[in-house]
Amino acid sequence: MHEMTGNPMSRGLRLVAAVVLLAGSATYAQQSTKEPVDFARQVLPILSDNCFVCHGPDAQQEDLVRLDSYEGATRDLGGHRAVDPGALGRSRLIARIHDPVNTMPPRDSGKSLTDAERDILTRWVTQGGRYAKHWAFAPPRKQAPEADGNPIDAFVKAHLREAGATPAPRADRATLARRAALTLTGLPPDDATLDAFMADQGPGSYERLVDRLLATPGYGEHQARYWLDAVRYGDTHGLHLDNKRGIYPYRDWVVRAFNENLPLDDFITWQVAGDLLPEPTLAQQVATGFIRMNPTTAEGGAIPAEFQAKNNFDRTETFGTVMLGMTMTCARCHTHKYDPITQTEYYRLLAFFNSTAEHSMDGNRYDYAPAIRAPDAQDQWDAWVPLETELRSLVDGVTDDAGTLATYAAATTRWKSEGWSMSERVGTDATAPSDWKPAKGFPGTRPKFALKEGEAVWITCRISAEVDQTLHLVLSGAKGSAAWLDDTDLAAEPTATQGARESTLLLPLLEGDHTLKVKLVGAKKPMGIGVRMTNPWRPLADSKQWGRCSDEQQLTMMADPRGPLAGDPLRERAAKARRSQAELRRRFTTTLVARDLPKPRATRLLERGEYNLPVGEALTPETPQVMGPLPEGAPRNRLSLARWLVSRDNPLVARVLVNRLWQRVFGYGLVRTPEDFGLQGQQPTHPELLDWLAVELQDSGWDMKRMVRLMVTSDTFRQRSAWRQDVDDPENRLLARGPRHRMDAEVVRDVALFTSGLLDPHMGGAGVKPYQPPGLWASLSHPASNTKRYVEDKGEKLYRRSLYVYWKRTSPHPMMTLFDAPSRETSCVARSRTNTPMQSLALLNERQRLEMSRGLAQRLLKGEPTDAARLEKLFRMLACREPSTRERRACERLLDRMRERYRGAEEEAAALLDRSGSDPRDEKLDAVELAAWSQVAITVLASDIAIMLF
Amino acid sequence: MTQPHPLHDLDLNITRRQLFGRAALGLGTASLAAMLGGDLSAQTGGGPQPRQDGGLHHAPRARRVIYLFMSGGPSHHDTWDYKPRMQELYGKPLPEDVRDGQRITGMTSGQKTLPVCPSKFAFSRYENNQDGVWVSELLPHTARMVKDLCVVHSTFTEAINHDPAITYIQTGSQIPGRPSLGAWLSYGLGRENQDLPGYVVMHARSRHPEQSLFNRLWGTGFMPSEHQGILMRSQGDPVLYLNNPPGVTSADRRAQLDALEEINAGQHEQFGDPEILARIKQHEMAYRMQTSVPELMDLSDEQDEVFELYGEDARTPGTFAACALNARRLAERGVRNIQIFHRGWDAHGNLVGEHTSQCKDVDQASAALITDLKRRGMLDDTLVVWGGEFGRTAYCQGRLTKENYGRDHHPRCFTTWMAGGGVKAGITYGRTDDFGYNIVNADGQVLSPQPTKERWTPGTMHVHDLNATILHLLGIDHERLTYRYQGRDFRLTDLHGHVLHDLIA
Repeated sequence: MHEMTGNPMSRGLRLVAAVVLLAGSATYAQQSTKEPVDFARQVLPILSDNCFVCHGPDAQQEDLVRLDSYEGATRDLGGHRAVDPGALGRSRLIARIHDPVNTMPPRDSGKSLTDAERDILTRWVTQGGRYAKHWAFAPPRKQAPEADGNPIDAFVKAHLREAGATPAPRADRATLARRAALTLTGLPPDDATLDAFMADQGPGSYERLVDRLLATPGYGEHQARYWLDAVRYGDTHGLHLDNKRGIYPYRDWVVRAFNENLPLDDFITWQVAGDLLPEPTLAQQVATGFIRMNPTTAEGGAIPAEFQAKNNFDRTETFGTVMLGMTMTCARCHTHKYDPITQTEYYRLLAFFNSTAEHSMDGNRYDYAPAIRAPDAQDQWDAWVPLETELRSLVDGVTDDAGTLATYAAATTRWKSEGWSMSERVGTDATAPSDWKPAKGFPGTRPKFALKEGEAVWITCRISAEVDQTLHLVLSGAKGSAAWLDDTDLAAEPTATQGARESTLLLPLLEGDHTLKVKLVGAKKPMGIGVRMTNPWRPLADSKQWGRCSDEQQLTMMADPRGPLAGDPLRERAAKARRSQAELRRRFTTTLVARDLPKPRATRLLERGEYNLPVGEALTPETPQVMGPLPEGAPRNRLSLARWLVSRDNPLVARVLVNRLWQRVFGYGLVRTPEDFGLQGQQPTHPELLDWLAVELQDSGWDMKRMVRLMVTSDTFRQRSAWRQDVDDPENRLLARGPRHRMDAEVVRDVALFTSGLLDPHMGGAGVKPYQPPGLWASLSHPASNTKRYVEDKGEKLYRRSLYVYWKRTSPHPMMTLFDAPSRETSCVARSRTNTPMQSLALLNERQRLEMSRGLAQRLLKGEPTDAARLEKLFRMLACREPSTRERRACERLLDRMRERYRGAEEEAAALLDRSGSDPRDEKLDAVELAAWSQVAITVLASDIAIMLF
Repeated sequence: MTQPHPLHDLDLNITRRQLFGRAALGLGTASLAAMLGGDLSAQTGGGPQPRQDGGLHHAPRARRVIYLFMSGGPSHHDTWDYKPRMQELYGKPLPEDVRDGQRITGMTSGQKTLPVCPSKFAFSRYENNQDGVWVSELLPHTARMVKDLCVVHSTFTEAINHDPAITYIQTGSQIPGRPSLGAWLSYGLGRENQDLPGYVVMHARSRHPEQSLFNRLWGTGFMPSEHQGILMRSQGDPVLYLNNPPGVTSADRRAQLDALEEINAGQHEQFGDPEILARIKQHEMAYRMQTSVPELMDLSDEQDEVFELYGEDARTPGTFAACALNARRLAERGVRNIQIFHRGWDAHGNLVGEHTSQCKDVDQASAALITDLKRRGMLDDTLVVWGGEFGRTAYCQGRLTKENYGRDHHPRCFTTWMAGGGVKAGITYGRTDDFGYNIVNADGQVLSPQPTKERWTPGTMHVHDLNATILHLLGIDHERLTYRYQGRDFRLTDLHGHVLHDLIA
């Protein structure tokens, strides 16, 4: 009835409509043809909000007019058109939006147009009704700013001028130092940094401060956090049992990437498809943890196909939010109602992720395969990265053009072992027996031969080779197992996987016949036995081409002391590097990575998003057309997808990412819906600036630090952040004042840790568990879950930066969630910032906050001679300034009251101090003084001085 | 065209909270605007504004809801859905046409047979306001209340595993990320009592806690986190970080807050940011909570007969009975949104033992809650809901004996009851077939096709319908309570949900 259909209306109605149309459109058209309308900025949001539900990409009826394209709008619907190019003033659209009876949008739709919106639509149609791409789907263009200096300021000032406003004055230097430090590193400036800055009054001093901050490791730790929210990083699987998951090397890699300023295009590519790069480095593989970050389950009875679909949805939609700033979710079940993404396109995008090799159910396993071993802490990364580079240059230095190596490799395959015999079980101290019995199954393992603690067996064989060569002898036996070749003790060969029940020895075999003797020792838990030999040259013998062997294999061959490289210094270096590598690797830990199946899974469209309703043909992976296609001939895999993301033609990625960089610095994005750049999202407050930054990001070689520096050194950032009487802009959309907001949960905690002197600077490693009220995990966890008990850490781990706090997704630490940290079950690109009584209770009563206040009080009492000096120090640490008279008076009054209150009530002072965490208190300090100062410290730490960025 | 936005929403909430607070003090909005130091009209764009009568879109039938959530999926066969004919087919394979293609979980899909498993428990008929209700011997107390209950035998869902199913019924989506029912209510209705949290969640103890709960069940998804449920705990502080540390008295805290507010007031002078004033209010509310919560938890003012009513268990913190009594006390104090999660209903084996214990935990106190609310004149405007995330199968999982058996998850029908708050008292709604397997129509015919969430079928209640009805009773139109995120106006009931007017008095 109310659809704009091509169906002929009843005669009467049509007549009415025609009269209205004639009367109406003439006047409307006359009034308002002058001022040109910007389709993308002004018209499209109105159409999207009011019309697209029925007349958009997901229009349900064939004969319903489509208003999402020029072709649709100008289609002949039986003598009339929504937009009539032949007679613009008579376009049906104008008539219907002005029709008081048969109005559009229909009254019962819950949607309606304002007069201003009608005017815009009318002007748009009468000006030709031309369509343009939604702004975010057209590639960004760099327009030169109108003024010199920092281009950010030029763009911002232009807007301010238009609004008749001026920028706010610059904030004072100390406030700026604090603001810059908290923005860049999530911590206040330390004394040395602040002193150096305050003493440095020369030109460029602020820029020098910023550079100093950008170079601190805290920068990466702070910036990584936002990314971890976006990719929904957690230390547990997230569903049902919510068991532990091995993935923190990914978190540490992200921190490194920020600190080393890895170009953003690499940062993205490695995460989406590092495994598909040629000979990927360890970092490139670890980065693919991004693909594995979705919550998973292994709930009994769950149907694998259902979770294969759910995992794919999650990945596709997170990918949409994080990389494209687009909401894909609608298109899971039906073609998107607003954005030009069809349901088929959704499943084509999903197809990129549907061929990863992991099972759809996690098996409740920490090492939910595929997983690799990766550095357990930043110092291991520090050692690994140069080593990996060296190894690569070593193997790159060897070629086999003459085929010498291949020929040698072929000869090494002709070694033989025979006459395998075994002793009875003997004591572990017994020497080589003389009584041997022929034994079967060697070389190989005999898992059923149970050897107990205190027992040993001896095994022997004859072994011969045609060339001098080295074999690796793998013994399955407990510590104390050993081997002799012609009565010479064999040395251990370092390997990454050396366990308590297996060891690898080097077996140097000269041309000719030899005797091997092996002693295998049993363990407390009975074990099977085994003696195996591997030939490091085997891969080359098989492939016959040096270049086909992996770096790892090449290195092992190069390191062979008997091989063709014997005597070459290169061999020495290879052997040494290999040894360091193996030693380092032994300390590595598990991390989940992405791999593709050898043969891709078929992807089909799922009707209504139901996993059991696949329809149609298998779909090839493809990008949504509106964002541009993959290059022709590019393989349809994640690597091509990644390259497409960071290509110059992609209209979204640079904008989306630079918007989030802006958000980190200014508190809010230029697009204030960072999760949605689509038609229903908000328009940028400063479109030219956003585009300029996006192109600049690309031009700079995706240099994140450069972009952040540009923002932090702008005048816009350096404005005072006080609200202004003369500018009516509560949301600061004009950027007529500096950033001001409550800091994130992690920063609130870290600031207090830092000022208390308790902060442990150790970077990386397994998630840490600071104090948490008992029973929180137990009261909701499955009895079979391995995260049902929260075991508090001891020592330094209590005081790590909050980035490292263990993240159980179904129950994250309350000091995080009370201050708006997301659960990390889904992507979060902008946290809420709420204000609740629970936060007040937490700030004043939580155990670690008590401990931090006591630590801070101790510092003040020991470091400063007078109350006045202590207050000055306290405010300097937290606010980078002296206390105001008002603040001083408030604190002094509290201090006096607390002294009075604890004097004569020492046991109460002691009760407070002893309850405050596990770090022992300084017994030399007077308990009354310490308690009184602790109370002052916790109060100031809870105030806006400590929890706000300003 | 106003786009709700975290910042915007925050401002809105400040405004609203301040409005409530100030209204109670009898101050007008003019002084409020002055206090905020900003333009009030700029901050009152799109968020929900509850009506004077406490509803949002229409007058509410219930001012508050107490949701007794039986996590794990209680067996309707052994509690509320009497199927005497199953006795005749004891141990025989479930007829194929009954199952009719229904997918079953991986836990029983490998079983050679699906033997019919009648309940071991005796059922009796209790008078209600219609034809009576058959209730099992496991629920003797609740059975005596059926004149006050609206028993729905035809609740259904699509999810067949706990995590998706419980996430579905509590957040409207099987995949994590959406706000919970409670968060929606908090968002839509705000809070009535300024000294207590508006949304309280309790975890009741069980002897068989073999399910997981998740913060997301009372979490806020993409909404601001202030709408999250506050855990009322039986271990440690009843509300996280509620109590002052040893050596700190209430007077000490007062002195601290005075200093803190003085510092913050100075910040306000300097920055003029209205959020500072809002935060001062939150500190004050926290201070009041430090008195009001212990008062709430202190049961010494309850007469002995109350413990007779709820059972002696109610004296033990953390039991379901204690939680139920707390729920009544919360309701009395104007908390509108109360949930008790009781785990342990997932009886794959040893159903007989486990359900006996589970029912013993909840039966008397559930009945007591109704009685208690009623005699205090509160049942009329308090909605009580009892139920789990799905039902259990008609067939046995594992070994079937006369003494014991197990049942797998069953999504196609299960029993939920409601009481008070505007629902019809003493009725049953919806029927299932002779196997408690499929929902049937008034003539006893199995509905064909099966009911779906897409279109409501009379006589059925999809979990979205349940949520739509709960919202309706609280004065909210589930189609109009929306929150914009990622360009889309999200609803608790997604694109579905039908208010069951048949159940409303």
